Parts: sequence; structure tokens; C-alpha cells
Amino acid sequence: MFVARRLVLAHFWVAFVAFLGAIFLGEWQMFMRSPLSAWINNPEHYYRSVTAHGTVMAYVLPTLVAMGFGYAISELALKRPLIGLRWAWTGFWLVIVGTAMAAITVALGKASVLYTFYPPMIASPFYYLGVVLVVVGSWIWVALMSINLRAWRKENPGATVPLAMYGNLAGAYLWAWTSVGAAVEVLVLILPASLGLTDTINAGLARVFFSWTLHAIVYFWLMPAYIAFYSIVPRAIGGRLYSDTMGRVAFALFLVFSMPIGIHHLFADPQVGAGFKFVHAAMTAMVSVPTLLTVFTIVASVEIAGRLRGGKGMLGWIKALPWDNPMMLAVTFAFIMLGFGGAGGIINMSYQLNETVHNTQWVTGHFHLIFAGAIVIMYFMIAYDLWPQLMRCGSMPAGLMRTQLWLWFVGMMVLTMPWHWVGILGMPRRMAYYDYSHPELQAQAWTVTASTLGGLLLVISAVLFVYILARARRTHEAPVPYTFSEPIHMPARTPVALNTFAVWVTMMIALTLVNYGWPIVQLASLEQASVPVIPIGGR
Amino acid sequence: MSEERLFSWHNRVVKRSVIALVALTIVSMLIGFIWLPPVHEDFTLEGLWAGICRAAGVPANWGSDNASQAGTSTSVVLEPAMARAGTNAEIGRGATLALNCTMCHGAQGMSRSDAPNLAGQYPEVVIKQLEDYRSGHRSSPIMEAIVNGLSDRDVRDLAAYYAYLPKARTAPTTYDETLPALIRVGDPLRNIAPCISCHGGVDQKLGAPWLEGMPKRYLVTQLKAFIAGTRHNDPGAQMRNMARAMTDAEIDEVATFYARKASNGEPGRAAP
Ligand code: HEC
Ligand code: HEC
Ligand SMILES: [Cu+2]
Repeated sequence: MFVARRLVLAHFWVAFVAFLGAIFLGEWQMFMRSPLSAWINNPEHYYRSVTAHGTVMAYVLPTLVAMGFGYAISELALKRPLIGLRWAWTGFWLVIVGTAMAAITVALGKASVLYTFYPPMIASPFYYLGVVLVVVGSWIWVALMSINLRAWRKENPGATVPLAMYGNLAGAYLWAWTSVGAAVEVLVLILPASLGLTDTINAGLARVFFSWTLHAIVYFWLMPAYIAFYSIVPRAIGGRLYSDTMGRVAFALFLVFSMPIGIHHLFADPQVGAGFKFVHAAMTAMVSVPTLLTVFTIVASVEIAGRLRGGKGMLGWIKALPWDNPMMLAVTFAFIMLGFGGAGGIINMSYQLNETVHNTQWVTGHFHLIFAGAIVIMYFMIAYDLWPQLMRCGSMPAGLMRTQLWLWFVGMMVLTMPWHWVGILGMPRRMAYYDYSHPELQAQAWTVTASTLGGLLLVISAVLFVYILARARRTHEAPVPYTFSEPIHMPARTPVALNTFAVWVTMMIALTLVNYGWPIVQLASLEQASVPVIPIGGR
Repeated sequence: MSEERLFSWHNRVVKRSVIALVALTIVSMLIGFIWLPPVHEDFTLEGLWAGICRAAGVPANWGSDNASQAGTSTSVVLEPAMARAGTNAEIGRGATLALNCTMCHGAQGMSRSDAPNLAGQYPEVVIKQLEDYRSGHRSSPIMEAIVNGLSDRDVRDLAAYYAYLPKARTAPTTYDETLPALIRVGDPLRNIAPCISCHGGVDQKLGAPWLEGMPKRYLVTQLKAFIAGTRHNDPGAQMRNMARAMTDAEIDEVATFYARKASNGEPGRAAP
């Protein structure tokens, strides 16, 4: 790496230390809710914890990882020093200051709004300003990624953008556009109410704006993991990428389809028309396409690795795979969790089936499996893979890493499978208290204990993860030059559409206007649609 | 690469993508807006356009039927501004007006009868309740007669005055296992939320009255009135729905709890 080494390290360290803190909160929530502990008596503390856990895990961790990884990709893939280092540090500090501001407000009990901005619940303005700073910091990153790619193109006219950088930019543009929804919600609707300038708020409109951000933010979290699937995994396990083009197609499809489908979070919302709910549900089905393409491509790439290592026959290549390689384990675990989580997601997005699981523990189970499971396990791998470059620490301890990954996988399964199960039985999510002495609940008590134990494994795994990173010491040997996966055949010429973003960004914006335009105009122009705000922690 | 133009109909990738996306959008729109709406059993609208409007979420008759208006619990919209503390002038005027109330609500708002305390009551509560008496959403022959003589400004000043007085029991409920379960954690399976999540202790929601130190008889009467529906001015039926699920013994338990006074062995604390 050239100039961004300390920058990337700073992003990763803050992300993972915050992650470590938040995971303890998560386990504390699970424990408090379980039959193992007496109830704390103050549900507010529980919701405060949920807010802090969610804010860190959903906003701070993925944003910092995406930013840090993005800067690293920019230098490693484009093979030129990062342009705008000063600005990048400014963005970093904005994120830090914003996070601190939001965290203090949450800790004071002035923002227990559960990290989803659903009015009429309104938190202290400092919470929202903090989140705004985080987002503004990340916008700087978006701009820098775009500027760096442009500079590279100038130097390499007509050359094919490395796949990792292509995915990186897809994630950046996706984030830039999807964060607009929540930004509008916060700046136009919530902040005026939070500052006391207005007493009422158009809650339905606010929810629609939030849903604009809510789905695609998940894909912003997911991009680093997918970039790792395509551009790190095949190399790390000694294989070749099956298809470079497939990766580009997947990233382009994410750009187009992951954004204008968020109304699937509002299926139970009476203010949004059923027609739009159906259209969003249908298009949500489309985002499974890039995921299926990815699973296919990566499995094919893994098969190449198996065959290169002498695996023969229909399934013989599986045995030949480097199972002691942490990356091999991680990608396997990630796909298993992605499989279960994805299947659950298809149930969530079906307009009718959603009714049965809406707002139950099932939903919590679903997104933990996909995000905290499949995606975060790849965040671990990204850090492990980059660490020798960043710390100049030589190779990483494979045995410890395997233990850490196993703990994370088993812990996540034990945490989330019971959640799915009780969700189907009807256990609501975001409940601070369950009365296990009640005969109708008694039978479900063990599931909560099980999840608590799963959570404990996750805590151990997270501690181990940070320990592995922290114990790395600088050695004197120069780091092995970093490489991304090689495709098995590099196409002679990449179609210009798959080497640029203009078409996909245009489609993304156009589809957003079609899918969101009317619901927004309609709710914004409804008379008497505003309701009094409910300030949280106001008294 | 320069010979291949991006935004051009001759670019195969672009052409196919655009066609596919447009087709997908049109097909899903046709299904969602034209085919599906009339399939619902309860579909009573007539004509294609009505179906499309409904699928787009346009209310067919927004607020035009007055029937629903008659059923609303209150005409007061609680706004945070109603909760602000009064000015000295307002409090002073309120104190004078309150001389008409001392007979029942006690000197300094501390009732010695079964009438509720008003001392330290949140201003928006006093305003809302008086407005409800005035509009007939809450009925009490005594209070309805009294409130008819009050102007809007009088109501606000009275609220400011009573909010300014020290509360009957200044120590707020703190959470420990000795509190009755309904107050602490409610009963989720019966849809009873914890009292302290609205009435103070964990959170104090706008419009939820300060209950601590109220006469027990008053509390019991109000809860029973919520059950019977003779009191129905709670927005969204939030109290009625919870009270209906409560047994007589539970009503007695929570009323006894809230009616206890700071002097009963527990040291009072200065109001925050
Ligand atoms: C003759 C006795 C009497 C007088 C005088 C009287 N009140 Fe009341 N007030 C009551 C009773 C009894 C109730 C409870 C009525 C019910 O059950 O709804 C009540 C209820 C109220 C409530 C509702 C309190 C709550 O917690 O819901 C308010 C506010 C109130 N009075 C304000 C006033 C004010 C202000 C005055 C003077 C202008 C006043 N009252 C004069 C007897 C009186
Ligand atoms: C969801 C919030 C909420 C919860 C939980 C709640 N209340 Fe209430 N309660 C209210 C509101 C709001 C009012 C005022 C209704 C109105 O506007 O007239 C009220 C009014 C009352 C009153 C009448 C007080 C008066 O001065 O007029 C009593 C008594 C009462 N609640 C008791 C309880 C008890 C006991 C519990 C717990 C079992 C409880 N409430 C739980 C919101 C709540
Ligand atoms: Cu979603």
C-alpha cells in the first residue's frame, strides 16, 4: 500500500472496537430477556441498549468497514496512491464525532428510538445530528472513490476497471443514492420536530422515506462481503475466479434492484397502496438474482480450486479443498448462513407470507443470519486478509482464526434458529420482557436460553477476533505483495456498460422515481396526515 | 473502448437491460394495479380507475363521513407545546381562578375528598381534561358545569398554576421487585403495558396524568369507568383496552399502590 495504510487501520480499529462493545450489549439484552436472569425492571434500559447495539452494528461498523476496505481497494487494485488523503481523514473524523455524539445521547437515555427512525417517536436532536455526521463522512468517501477511479481511467484509457474496484464503486454509488431517503427524512421531517420547531410530523411519509434507505442499506453492508467473495476468496484458496463478467453483472444488478424495493418493509402500513406493495415485492424477488449468480460463480471458483488441487469426479473436488484454510471455512459458513437467511428473506418479501412473521423474532433472526452471520464473517476475513499489509505482521495464526470462525458460525446458528422458530409461533420482536411463568410462554422459554448461549459463543468469538488483530506485531520482512483473484479467462474486452456505472445509476434513479414517486407525492400532499410527535426521554 | 458508445441503442447490453427493466416494471404494475385489486373478495369499488386509485393508496373518501367523527374519544390533539411551563403572569392568574376549585380539589391542589389532586399535574393533562369536559367527551355533571364558565385562556392559566404546585408525592416510582407486576412490567399476553411506561417512572407520555398520591377511590372509580365505557376520552382507547383486561383485585392493588403518600414511611424527594 502507498499512503492509505494508517487511514485504513484507523477505520478498521474503530469499527471493530465499537463492534466489540456492541456485541456485549447484544448479549446482555439476550440474557436479560432470558429465564436465566431476573428482569431488570426498567425496560427503558433495555431499549437504550437495543438502540446502541443497533446503531453501532447497523450504521457504524459497516460504514467504517466499507470505507476502510474501499480505500484499501483503491490503492491495491488501482496500484496508485489514494488521492485526497486529507479529505479521507476528514471523513473519518466526521464519522467518529458523529458516532460519539449519537452514543452519548443514547447513553443518556435521550434517544431510545431503537435505531430505526420511525416517527412519531422522536429522539434528541443530537442523536440525529450524530447520524447525519456519520452519513456526511461516508459521502466524502463516495466522492473520493469516484475521483480516484476517474484519475485511474485518465491514466489507463480504455482499460478494464479491476473487479474489486468496480464492486467498490457500485457500493459507493448505491450508498450515495440510498442514503438520500433517510437524509431527507431526518433533515426535512425529523430534525424540525426534534428541535421543537414543529409539534407534528407526517409519520407515514417519514416511514416511506426511511424504507427508501432501509432495504438498500443492507446491500451497502453486503458489498464488501461480495467484493471479498469475488476478488479475495478464489485467490486465498488457490483457485481462479470462474467469471469476471458475472461479478460485474451481479454488482450492476444490485445497483439497479436493491434500492427501489424498500416498501416491502411497509407491508403492514395502511397508508401505502397495495399496488405499490406488490410491485416492490416483485422487484425484491429480483435482488435474489445477483445473489444466486454470485453463489454459482463462487462455488464454481471453489470447484476450480479443488480440481487444481487434484480433486476428481463429481464430488471428489470437495474433499480436495483446503479445509484448513480459514478462508475456505469462512466462505462455506457464509454460504450456509446466506442460504438459510436468504430463504427466510424470500418469505419476508412475499406480500402474503410476510403477514405471518411481520414484527416477530423471525425478522431479527433473518437479518442476524444474513448480516451478522454471512456478511460479518466476511468482514472478519477482509480484516485478516488485509492485516499483513496493514500491520506488516507476517502471516496470521490460522488455528486461532479457525476457532474464531467456528465459534461465530455455531454461535450465530444457535442464536438465530430459535428466533426463527419462536417467530413463527408469534413471539414479537423488540419486547423487553417475557413472563415465562405464564403457561403459554413456558414452553418457549428454553429457546431464549438457547439463544443466550449462542450469543455467548459470539461474544467469545468477537473477543478472539479482536485479540487476533491486536496481537499482530510488526516484523521486518516486507509484506508479500497483495493480489486479487485472477479470473480463469479474462475476456479480451469488457462491454463498456459493465466497465462504467452510468447506465445502472440511471436505471436505479429512474426506477426509484417510478416506484417511490407517487407514494411520496401522495403522502406529502395528504391533508391532516401529521400526528403529534412523541419525544423520547423528554420528561 | 472509445468506439463503443454507452448511451446508444446499438449497445446490446444497454438495449437489452432497458427493455427487460421496462417490461418487468410494466408487467408488475399491470398485475399489482389492474389484475389483483378486483380479485379481492371485499372489492366493492366499480370500474378500472377506482381499482387503480385504491391500489395506489388514494383514499376514496378522506374524512368525508362524519359518522366516524362522532366516535372519536377526544377532540384535543396533544402537542408538546401544551406541556411548556407557564409564565409568572399566567401562574398568578391561574392561582386566582383556582380559588373556585379549592372546595373540592383542596388548597394547593391537594384533595381531601375523592376528587382528584391537581397539584403538580402536567399542564397538558389539565388542559385536555377540561377541554374534554367542555366538549362532552368526558362527563361529570360537576365539572361540566364549572368548565362552561372558563375561557380558553382561563384553562391554560389554571393548567400553568397547577403544574407549578408541588406534587402530592414527589418521589417518583422507582423500579424494584416489590412493585405490583402490572405497574412494573404489565402483562404482555393480556396487552397490558406497564403503567410506569406511560405514567412516569420509566417514561412519562404526553397526556398521561400524574397518578401518585391520588385518592384511591378516585383511581378505582376511573378504572371502572374505563371498563364500563362511561369514561371514554382516552385517545385510541389506550386505557379502556387495558382496564378491561384487569380484575377487581388488580385494580385494587394498583390503586392502593398509586394512592400511597410520601409520608407513609417513605421519604419524599424534591421534585425534579
Ligand atoms: C364541586 C367539586 C369540584 C369543584 C368546585 C371543581 N372540581 Fe374539578 N373535579 C371534581 C371531581 C369530582 C372530579 C372527577 C370527575 C370525574 O370523575 O370525571 C374533577 C375532575 C377534575 C379534573 C380532571 C382531573 C384528572 O386527573 O383527570 C380537572 C382537571 C379538574 N377537575 C379541574 C378543576 C378546576 C380547574 C376547577 C376550578 C375551576 C375545578 N376542577 C373545580 C370536583 C370539582
Ligand atoms: C400507553 C400508555 C398508558 C399506560 C401503559 C397506562 N396508562 Fe393510564 N392513562 C394513559 C393516558 C394517556 C391517560 C389519560 C387519558 C385521557 O386523556 O383522558 C390515562 C389515564 C389513567 C387514569 C385516569 C387518571 C386521571 O387522573 O384521570 C388512571 C387511573 C390510569 N390511567 C391508570 C393506569 C394504570 C393503573 C395503568 C397500569 C395498569 C395504566 N394507567 C397504564 C396512558 C396509559
Ligand atoms: Cu428489506
